[in-house]
Amino acid sequence: MTVTTVSPPPPPESRRQRRRRERLAARDSEIPVELYGLPRGTVGLLTTLAFGFALFTLIPIGWILINSTKTQANIFETFGFWFASPFEFFHTFGLLFQNVDGYGTFIQWFGNTALYAVLGGGGATILAALAGYALARFRFRGSRFVFYTIIAALLVPITALSIPLYLTYAKAHLINSIWGMVLPSMISPIGVYLMRTYADISVPRELLDAARIDGAGELRIFFRVALPLMVPGLLTVLLINIVAVWNNYFLPLLIFNINTKYPLTVGLGLWSTRAVNSGDANLYPMLVMGGLVTIIPLIALFLILQRYWRGGMLLGSIAN
Amino acid sequence: MPAIELENLTRVFASGVTAVDRLTLDVDDGEFVVLVGPSGCGKTTALRMIAGLEKITAGTVSIGGQVVNDVSPRRRDVAMVFQNYALYPHLSVYDNLGFALENAGVPKAERDRRIRAAAAALGLSELLRRRPRQLSGGQRQRVAMGRAIVREPRVFLMDEPLSNLDAKLRVLMRGEVLRVHRSIGAATVYVTHDQVEAMTMGDRIALLNGGALQQFGPPAELYARPVNQFVARFIGSPEMNLFEAALDADGALALGSQRIDLTRRPVPGQGTPGQAVPGKQAPRRGEPVIVGIRPEDLALGAPGAPGTLTAEVRAVEQLGSELHAFFSIDARQAGDQTGGASDADQDAALPGQAHNGVARLDPRSGIRPGGRVTFLVDPARLYFFDPATGEATGWPAAPAQAPQAPQATQQASAGAGRTRSG
Repeated sequence: MTVTTVSPPPPPESRRQRRRRERLAARDSEIPVELYGLPRGTVGLLTTLAFGFALFTLIPIGWILINSTKTQANIFETFGFWFASPFEFFHTFGLLFQNVDGYGTFIQWFGNTALYAVLGGGGATILAALAGYALARFRFRGSRFVFYTIIAALLVPITALSIPLYLTYAKAHLINSIWGMVLPSMISPIGVYLMRTYADISVPRELLDAARIDGAGELRIFFRVALPLMVPGLLTVLLINIVAVWNNYFLPLLIFNINTKYPLTVGLGLWSTRAVNSGDANLYPMLVMGGLVTIIPLIALFLILQRYWRGGMLLGSIAN
Repeated sequence: MPAIELENLTRVFASGVTAVDRLTLDVDDGEFVVLVGPSGCGKTTALRMIAGLEKITAGTVSIGGQVVNDVSPRRRDVAMVFQNYALYPHLSVYDNLGFALENAGVPKAERDRRIRAAAAALGLSELLRRRPRQLSGGQRQRVAMGRAIVREPRVFLMDEPLSNLDAKLRVLMRGEVLRVHRSIGAATVYVTHDQVEAMTMGDRIALLNGGALQQFGPPAELYARPVNQFVARFIGSPEMNLFEAALDADGALALGSQRIDLTRRPVPGQGTPGQAVPGKQAPRRGEPVIVGIRPEDLALGAPGAPGTLTAEVRAVEQLGSELHAFFSIDARQAGDQTGGASDADQDAALPGQAHNGVARLDPRSGIRPGGRVTFLVDPARLYFFDPATGEATGWPAAPAQAPQAPQATQQASAGAGRTRSG
């Protein structure tokens, strides 16, 4: 008695068609907003609030975009939300590659930031994935203690640690070392917390049991079975960590006193101080342009990673 | 030498609950053993201990004559099919099947050959490039089996592999599982809560309750010679009728206000005296006893004839091929000494469900609820149990119709087919 219920393979479907089908299916499975049972007018009110918030966050970006095209005089003298001639965008952009007054070049700081972000953010993500998975899926002595310690660490502001941190660094010869920047960046309590939660919901215990029965070692199980299922959560944590390192101002300010090691944040801060103090002719346009170039990689990263934020990773694995 | 031996296998959870209590059994090479019992009876825990996925509190698990208590699952040479399939969602069917071989370092060409052979055996050849999400439930189930058989394991474990399939597919897959089992010849332990699956599939059945083994033997034996009330009630569908009764001084069975003369043969030419249970005191005259009557052993008889039982019909279930008449007599339904009240007991306590017995009758018998009906009781088909311990003290006569019984019970509860083998 052989079961021969092989259905014909579905017609080939392009990626775009699949996206469209999934989007439509998602829409069909949603409850229409009229059925939420909200009081009249609530939806309109919430929509207005959301728009207001979006405006609030987008206005500074708009300002920086517009003013990156202006001369220093125009930045101060013309209306901030409209363009003015001359169009100085490319001229100012070119200045970013120059060493202004021996303070170091923007492009070098950019490279530093990228390096710190990749090493620190990437390292933090890998560690968070390992730790989160272990905390979610293994019972070991002290596992709860470790987890609650991590939660507690979320609550401690780094400023409170500045003096002990600096003293430790001085002893460990980590002042002006890139490891001084990278190592602390690799510790991400929020990342561990998120990965633990995500591993808990996305990696079924039965799948791990199956892999053990199938003869896989624990490391192999992690990389071949668990990690692929944790990818959406992993990317979220990666983004959070990269943004955190990218925007970190306090830590590099504390540990670097050679301006060729500065990341963007500290470098721009240096320019800013100098612009205020010296009234130098052309530092403000460079500051604005520097700010713009600083945020572009993060926006790009977000847009690239966004397509991986897909649910349904487990579809078909577990019957229920 | 048995392929698997369990000796006094015990698992006590941290909460203090004893999930498996001194379980001892053995599975021969090529044998298909079913672990069955109500939910929470410890059958899955026992299976997981064999697999190495669960801590062993006491006792030993041996595979191939070797104690494997401290051997990790990947070194035990066991394959397992999980209740929820547990397929790797991000891998194709091909890679799902090949994962274990990859782990074992099987060369690529050999791997490919074995994957394709297993896929062909299970009708998966067309699906090798698909992901689990693109498969139907039955196909996923077959991939889960395929993943286990490519390994050519010594021991094959299955944890309720069919419970997520619809009734029709389940019947089909039963045959499929047996076919695969016969072709690979590995010692198989199959866990289910469904007595129909147990009866139709097992070479031997191990019936568990509350973590303890109740009886271990071929299906027909559990049906015809249950060691206690729990086994008697669990095996067979509908459940065996159990009543509190007494043997009076002249050997008649006092069942409520009615008497059934056990010395008479109600149907000429049929029925011989029942068997005694070895090592047990047979029911004695003048003492209370619990009597068990299988629903299929009740037949309609003429009112007032000797050896009959009169009952009121409360409800009727017409199944087409047979008819279940739920009746009530004034004897008390026997409780369960071995555990808490069964589901059936609790259901029977519902208002409007005031029946305490059931008979399986000819569908054309025209029985209607509300009427009175007379059953012929064959003394040779009665089961007797000790009211204090629930242990069997008397069994039906030896040339039992038991070999037919599995079919009958399967038919009764699945209703979809009656194939015993594939």
